[in-house]
Amino acid sequence: MLGRRGLAGFGLAIGLLAPFAAWADDTDQAEKFVDKLLKDLSAVVNGGKPVDAQKAAMRQIVFEAVDIDGVARFCLGRFWRTATPQQQKDYTEIFRNVMVSNITGKVGEYQGVSFALGKGQARVEEISVASTVNRPGNAPNKVDWLVANVGGKPRVIDVVAEGTSLRLTQRNDYSAFLQRNNNDVQALIDALKKQAVAAN
Amino acid sequence: MQRIVQSFSQAVVLVAALVMAGCATAPPADDPDAVAEFKQTNDPIEPANRVVYAVNDKIDQVVLRPVAVGYNYVLAPGVRSHIHNLLDNLGNPVTLMNDMLQGKPRRAGDTLMRLVLNTTIGVGGFFDVATGWGWPAHDADLGMTFAVWGAPEGPYLMLPIFGPSNPRDGIGMVGDMAATPTGYLPHGLENTVFGYTKTVVGAVDARAGVVDDLDKIKAQALDPYATIRSLWRQHRQSQIDEAKKPEILTQPSAWGGSK
Repeated sequence: MLGRRGLAGFGLAIGLLAPFAAWADDTDQAEKFVDKLLKDLSAVVNGGKPVDAQKAAMRQIVFEAVDIDGVARFCLGRFWRTATPQQQKDYTEIFRNVMVSNITGKVGEYQGVSFALGKGQARVEEISVASTVNRPGNAPNKVDWLVANVGGKPRVIDVVAEGTSLRLTQRNDYSAFLQRNNNDVQALIDALKKQAVAAN
Repeated sequence: MQRIVQSFSQAVVLVAALVMAGCATAPPADDPDAVAEFKQTNDPIEPANRVVYAVNDKIDQVVLRPVAVGYNYVLAPGVRSHIHNLLDNLGNPVTLMNDMLQGKPRRAGDTLMRLVLNTTIGVGGFFDVATGWGWPAHDADLGMTFAVWGAPEGPYLMLPIFGPSNPRDGIGMVGDMAATPTGYLPHGLENTVFGYTKTVVGAVDARAGVVDDLDKIKAQALDPYATIRSLWRQHRQSQIDEAKKPEILTQPSAWGGSK
């Protein structure tokens, strides 16, 4: 017979398990999300359309799938707090441009790429979905896609290639630059603007 | 071997001299964020490291990169991958030694199978047949072995020519060179030529494989030195984490199991 204590224990167990059930759902959702993203990306780079059309299509995918504003904030790190609201706005805008043109700039190089989706794994605040990226003439690369729930939708917040995090590397680059420029966020914004001009 | 040790000790002396020339000033203690970052970056001799980086970068621009670009241009991708396979196979004995030192029978078995299969069926390592049959390559070197044993990395170190390292991995590199069996061939002109060729081709192969990536990093980074430091340290940590993982017993796919 299940006594009152038994029932209470059962209730407690359910309460404890509920977050895990939610996690399992999230992991499933994140895997599906990354699967779709990789299929979309390879359709674009292997679609045989003119390069400009490929770039436009990829831009669209990146804006929809990546939490660019969140990544921008992460990359500025502790300097986000010291930046003025205007600087935060300018920085986020120029960051978007630079990031997207860095990703789409070499679209031709990804011709022939194929992805193999691996398993999703729940972390503290995000879900890491593993994949293997195969490019002709290159050794296969292990790439993990970090997916978080941003505003009710799954979004990519980081890409970890062979153990190197894109956003962490970017943050380290920016903070080294800022250290050598008197921690002046404006100097960073100006440097990024110059970079955007050079890239386009 | 003696030559390598000699040039390495010269490099150590150079670095030591540079260290005295410039240590990074730690940020003031009342700025905890900056202090945390200084610790996380782990680069107390940054000014000296930057000097070595600048010299390395010049050498790279003038010699290594042009050679690597020429190598990629002249040789077809297939030929380059055969050369890469050969070098990989020559490195397998050292990888095997480190797998064993790390206490990883499964990984050691993988490396042993790679060495046996690629040397025989792969015609002396010309073809990498082992990967397709379920024995893929992995990294193992003495620096990683020291890390698995619990040795700390020490401060970030930019070595002349060799590039990013730290005391643990620098010592490991010398140890791996000493352990390479081709270093113990009998003295003779052919073997000396073979030794030099292997070193030079190895350097060109390594540089040629990262021409595009390194170009991209240098074009896109605001501070290439810091970006390379970050990339290298993260990648190194992930290699070590991989080596520290407990082994799971599985069957290679060639035997009907799944990897």
